[in-house]
Amino acid sequence: MNDITQSDNLAEDTLLIGGINLHSRLFVGTGKFSSHEIVPQMLEASGSQVVTMALRRVDWKNPQENILNYLPQNTILLPNTSGARTAEEAVRIARLARAAGCGNWVKIEVVQDQRYLLPDNWETLNATEQLVNEGFVVLPYMSPDLGAARRLRDAGAAAIMPLGAPIGSNRGLQTKELIRILIEEISLPIIVDAGIGRPSEAAEAMEMGAAAVLVNTAIATAGDPVFMAQAFRLAVAAGRLGYLAGLGERRLTAEASSPLTGFLQEG
Amino acid sequence: MQIVVNGEAQEILSDCTVFQLLKNQAVTLNATVVEHNGKILKQEYWQGTPLQAGDRLEILIFMGGG
Repeated sequence: MNDITQSDNLAEDTLLIGGINLHSRLFVGTGKFSSHEIVPQMLEASGSQVVTMALRRVDWKNPQENILNYLPQNTILLPNTSGARTAEEAVRIARLARAAGCGNWVKIEVVQDQRYLLPDNWETLNATEQLVNEGFVVLPYMSPDLGAARRLRDAGAAAIMPLGAPIGSNRGLQTKELIRILIEEISLPIIVDAGIGRPSEAAEAMEMGAAAVLVNTAIATAGDPVFMAQAFRLAVAAGRLGYLAGLGERRLTAEASSPLTGFLQEG
Repeated sequence: MQIVVNGEAQEILSDCTVFQLLKNQAVTLNATVVEHNGKILKQEYWQGTPLQAGDRLEILIFMGGG
């Protein structure tokens, strides 16, 4: 396939996180796929370099199974702290993930609310402070709030990951205005995580100036996850290019695109 | 003797190391992480760490997640 995302104006456009220049602005999650076997194809189609996964107790019925067996060698692993309800639990999971030899990136995810799985920004901040001090590259998943984002930045977060809508809801950018404010006010990369359900919504986030998006459910539960991964790759690239190009101004009334030569009405 | 593995009581033979337990259960050794009585036990110590009655082990691996 002719790779339009790498061969055009985006070739030089990289995203610096944790000392690494990323070429792909699409991060993907590995949950909810019907089988692990589809994950390598999905990853190739997505072009993603950063991949999330979760730490869990070994399954005795399937003790050889491990998602890492399905990820290419050069993947940047972003283990999440899902399941953590407190900063302390998130820190414990992060340390275990690092001890497992998965590098030092971590997505902080601290959730107490089981219905909407909304993150607890306070506990997230506490975990971020601790893990930055321990040398982790910390990407906190958070409810989009400017005050909390500033505190996360000051604590040393490598990026801020506000939710667009509840995890797995496929409802898109419900928090759009709050994310817009974070992009405007926070100098760190803003990565929209959770809720993005369609490629067009990923493109919209990128047009707004999001540094990247993280997508899992929308790809994993698509009719064809490999095609959908490719669709998201193109959408993210298109949205990014649109942002870099500079969007035209919005107007309330029409402004003619064709010159209004008046010959029809002129005598 | 009895130990607790991933929250469940398990009867094991004495003179068993952490490494032997993982081997016996056919657990993948790729990026597996072990917590022994609440402390991370690095892979290089699995062979030299004998299990004792009442020990608590967490054996964790990576699975799909977002």
